[in-house]
Amino acid sequence: MKVAMLGWEFPPFVSGGLGVHCFHLTRSLCKLGVKIDFFMPASGKHILPSHPSLRIFEVSKVSQGPYLSFSQQAKNLSRTYGENILPSIEKYNLQCHEFAKNLHAKEKYDLIHAHDWLTASAARSLKQELSIPTVHTMHSTEFDRNAVPWRFIADIERGAIGNADRVITVSNRMKRQLVEKFNAEEKKIRVIFNGVESEEFENKDTLSRISLPLLQNKKKVLFLGRLTGQKAPAEFLRAAKEVLCLEPNTAFLIAGTGDMLPHLLNLSITLGIQKSVIFLGYLSDEDRKKIYCQCDVYVMPSVSEPFGITALEAMASGTPTIISTNSGVGEAVKTVLRVDFWDTRAMAEKIIALLRYPPLSSTMSGMSYSEARQFTWAAAARETLKVYDELLALKK
Amino acid sequence: MRLKKFSLFEESASSSVSAYFHHELNKKIMDKVAGKCYLPANRIMLELLEKYPEFRVSFSITGVFLEQCKRFAPEVLESFRALAKTGRVEFLSETYYHSLSSLFANKQEFIEQVQMHTRALSEISPPAKVFRNTEALFSNQIGNLLESLGYIGVMTEGIEHVLGWRSPNYVYRPRGASTLKILFRNYKLSDDIGYRFSSKSWNEYPLTASKYAQWLSSAEGECCNIFMDYETFGEHHWEDTGIFEFLKALPGEILSHKRLSFSTPSEIAKTLPPRDEIDIHSEISWADKERDTSAWLGNEMQRSCFSILQELETQVKQTKNEELLHSWRLLQNSDHLYYLSTKSLSDQDVHSYFSPYESPFEAYINFMNILQDFRERVKQENEVGAE
Repeated sequence: MKVAMLGWEFPPFVSGGLGVHCFHLTRSLCKLGVKIDFFMPASGKHILPSHPSLRIFEVSKVSQGPYLSFSQQAKNLSRTYGENILPSIEKYNLQCHEFAKNLHAKEKYDLIHAHDWLTASAARSLKQELSIPTVHTMHSTEFDRNAVPWRFIADIERGAIGNADRVITVSNRMKRQLVEKFNAEEKKIRVIFNGVESEEFENKDTLSRISLPLLQNKKKVLFLGRLTGQKAPAEFLRAAKEVLCLEPNTAFLIAGTGDMLPHLLNLSITLGIQKSVIFLGYLSDEDRKKIYCQCDVYVMPSVSEPFGITALEAMASGTPTIISTNSGVGEAVKTVLRVDFWDTRAMAEKIIALLRYPPLSSTMSGMSYSEARQFTWAAAARETLKVYDELLALKK
Repeated sequence: MRLKKFSLFEESASSSVSAYFHHELNKKIMDKVAGKCYLPANRIMLELLEKYPEFRVSFSITGVFLEQCKRFAPEVLESFRALAKTGRVEFLSETYYHSLSSLFANKQEFIEQVQMHTRALSEISPPAKVFRNTEALFSNQIGNLLESLGYIGVMTEGIEHVLGWRSPNYVYRPRGASTLKILFRNYKLSDDIGYRFSSKSWNEYPLTASKYAQWLSSAEGECCNIFMDYETFGEHHWEDTGIFEFLKALPGEILSHKRLSFSTPSEIAKTLPPRDEIDIHSEISWADKERDTSAWLGNEMQRSCFSILQELETQVKQTKNEELLHSWRLLQNSDHLYYLSTKSLSDQDVHSYFSPYESPFEAYINFMNILQDFRERVKQENEVGAE
């Protein structure tokens, strides 16, 4: 089976779950005998494929790099500078189309598998021109990323969902959202949970960035994610303030960057907790794999999280994890504490419990370590292959 | 006995320890179960006792249950008193609190709770010299203790790993005892009513009183101890399943078999000889499929809470404060530990079904927050006393 996969990012050039997802999914699908041509914007470096059956085509240079708070930045750009990211996305899609069409003449792809709205127009035009089935994975939508969704992008997402023969979502929560907000046909949606490469998160090496004297003998609570409203870093800081009232010997680490950084710096000062909050900035893939192990608690307070792969990463590291009730991963895991993102007091109580009560922390640590190991990319790839087979059977 | 959601951030010093317990919810639960089960079932029992002079029935109720009846449902207490007056209803001995105090290293607390229970039950009817420990917990060691306290019999679970090839339908003697007899619960026949009665996927569905009496009649042995949650009648199986009709018809059906008659546990303990010695070196119970202590002490969270409770004994008693003592004992209720079991996470068992908490971790957090607060109060009380 040959698949043309349209993506946006790929490790080591990753800013979110999408790149991680594509990396592991393609590798695991290839192991199942699928041949994949993966298309993405030019990274400027030559990315090596992770399997002989995978070919990576970096088709065009996009001015806007990472996925980082994408639509917000696009809006700012177009407003402030009159410059717009959208033309370069359109250019990427056009080139994707050309590339894939030309390759198809020789390769004869069986189907197209596209990810998120960024690849929607290429998926649509290729489907029309090549007359082959299309699978579209929706990792998140405008309704997750922004409190006030940008209509223009939501419309692209609606189009992508309508165009696809099968839509894959990473949670039932996301599936409901597509049905309710995008009028998606329920029967063409398949839910496939993400996996996690658990062994990669067992690295106990100390990160130089957190071996600061400041942090010695302190309990550490971690936030890791883009610093945007969607991920609720401000709620994390408010909870930190409450925790510090009862457990002053605690440090709060914020890993990631994003447009809220200046606001969060100010907020930590306003709350008077700046000495206990460390902004670590963007963590490389390697550093991300090490940091969970070195923290006592991981909190993923997101306002909206279609899946929330970092929760599985923290669990795989054996780090007790608190997740937002608005997260897809919560449908699949049991060894977590759950909290409403706005309930910073409850968030604080759960953090304190994990800091104070070693039996809780060690029980959760051991159980989450094993539970995370049930989520494999091999399983996600098998489920994805079922969707492919389903479509090819229909075609015949 | 449900606990309140206890917040670390609320001013706890001003309120009393009674703030740990969810009195409104406890009342609501009592009202509900009294209406669906205790009152109608007791009414039927009384009718059956009046109709059949041979009929006997026994109850095992804690002092805390009596307390809750007095407080929230005096009519339930009255109905038990009416049953006791017939002289054919027996109340078993147990601990006043639904506690695991029999597992404490120091048995003094267990003995005190047993004595409290005897005093409390005497208001209705002095309890029998047959003991039923919390969750049917039993071991040779507990047997020795009970014998030294003057008990003639003990009821526990008829589980294969202690019975081996033997039938639960005889009376036995625990190793190390000289007079104490064990009455084993026949869990298969008990669960046919307790669990399976309303299960439509059960191949014996529907269970009729005549069929059940037939099973009892054809069972081997000298006694068959049928023992289940009283909530079986009307609460676990609702009225519309026909459970009350079954109960009404059962004594008549049983008495129609020549082989069968009714006895109270103390009649059995007095009349039947022990047929063999049974060695129960580690505790058994009727909980979970393991039938041991793992439902309450299976993980580190459970064991650490149990240790905290146990370690508090000396300090709590030192305060001589009745309210603190009572609260400490209420906190010993085995349910608080049961909710912390993580077995439900691997197999969907009854822990999560009965738990009011979202997860065992949430249950642990709430219980620990309360235990920590309690420990602090006890400490303060002793400091004030020392001044």
